[in-house]
Amino acid sequence: MIDVLTEHWSEFSSGWWVTVQIIAGSFGIAMVVGTFVAAFRIAPNKWLQRLGGLYVEVFRNIPLLVLLFISFAGLRRAGVDIGPWVAGIASLGLYTAAYVAEALRSGVFSVGKGQIEASLSLGFSYAETLRRIVLPQAFRTVIAPLGSLTIAMIKNSAIVGVSLLALPDLLKQARVVSARTFQTDETFFWAAVGYIILTGAATLIFRALEKRFAIAR
Amino acid sequence: MSDQNLVELQGIHKAFGDNVVLAGVDLSVARGEVIVIAGPSGSGKSTMLRCVNGLETADRGEITFDGRPVKPGKGLSALRAEIGFVFQQFHLFPHMSVLDNIVLAPVKVKGIARDAARTRGQELLERVGIAEKAHQFPAELSGGQQQRVAIARALAMDPKLMLFDEPTSALDPEMIREVLDVMRDLAREGMTMLVVTHEMGFAREVCDRLVFIDGGLIVEEGPPAEFFANAQSERAREFVDKIIHH
Repeated sequence: MIDVLTEHWSEFSSGWWVTVQIIAGSFGIAMVVGTFVAAFRIAPNKWLQRLGGLYVEVFRNIPLLVLLFISFAGLRRAGVDIGPWVAGIASLGLYTAAYVAEALRSGVFSVGKGQIEASLSLGFSYAETLRRIVLPQAFRTVIAPLGSLTIAMIKNSAIVGVSLLALPDLLKQARVVSARTFQTDETFFWAAVGYIILTGAATLIFRALEKRFAIAR
Repeated sequence: MSDQNLVELQGIHKAFGDNVVLAGVDLSVARGEVIVIAGPSGSGKSTMLRCVNGLETADRGEITFDGRPVKPGKGLSALRAEIGFVFQQFHLFPHMSVLDNIVLAPVKVKGIARDAARTRGQELLERVGIAEKAHQFPAELSGGQQQRVAIARALAMDPKLMLFDEPTSALDPEMIREVLDVMRDLAREGMTMLVVTHEMGFAREVCDRLVFIDGGLIVEEGPPAEFFANAQSERAREFVDKIIHH
């Protein structure tokens, strides 16, 4: 059982590392873009609200696999080659951002109107109120759903690897090893372990964040 | 400039849909004056108070604070920074410690150094009698303590005017006293205050002028002793009767 892993350690470890990089990049994009989209959706401006709404509808309603094909092969045929890394990380990040935005939006609605008025009456502008009072509380309220989204994103990273041939992530490398050794069960068992390490770490981190930042009201 | 009134309200009208809440309110507030605004619920007291710092925008009429117009737009935040507002429900920021609640606006809005702001915040907590709670979170405090923190948070901006919107109405009876004591001290120190409250004992003892509002209009105003002894209007007399002899 263990010999598949030890003999092909370099494939497994390099694949795992590529997966880590994909999810780190996608996570960053998802959080930043998701925050902006959520801010748009609650902005006191109809057009920004619509723009935010359009973003969510587009990226939530297209399968991730289709998004990957469009961003890589599609764009390349149209003469824009952004490379597999950018295509993979951006697709997964922008796709996940739509869900992050929706989670944050629900968190924003849990922050009372009184909080906004208290902040405004201290002399903060609406934008500062959003940044200093509303969003920090919204984030704390939605730590648990963000954790679930992050775990889903980690698993979705496997789709990036299989669809973009040039990205040798954990699943891609497992397929290479499996084809070479014919030890399919064992190989994918270790691939699963690699994913569980990542999702398990995410679970622990988000649990700790929840414990640390939960708001007593 | 300093002999000019701090706040002027002229012909303030405000309606929410078909419901007319303020039907032409005029009021001048002198510097250092303490005014209690009383009246039956739904009479427009809170709405009037909220118009003064622009949390509500009047449909018609003009409001000036310290000679500057209170209206939506660029200057409004700067005006609000000079006006303290205390809410019925406190509205402390639940994700920050008590001291951070107080320090936030002085540091981020006024640009005061964090250390200086913390020292001053601690002093203010001492003044409202809860210095030992500085590092706790709002949810760990009683209602009366939270309201005193809210007052300290407003005072930390060194406001020229303090607005109180039913500051004791959400409190258990035994906590009302401690909040009113803080407000009384503040009045004695010369703070200009507009207080919407049902605490007529406080009004009688502390305020310079009592303004009675009903149906969106100022029906009567004058020194509190006079108001309680011989209110002129029918509605004010009814109100006094209900408050005093209930």
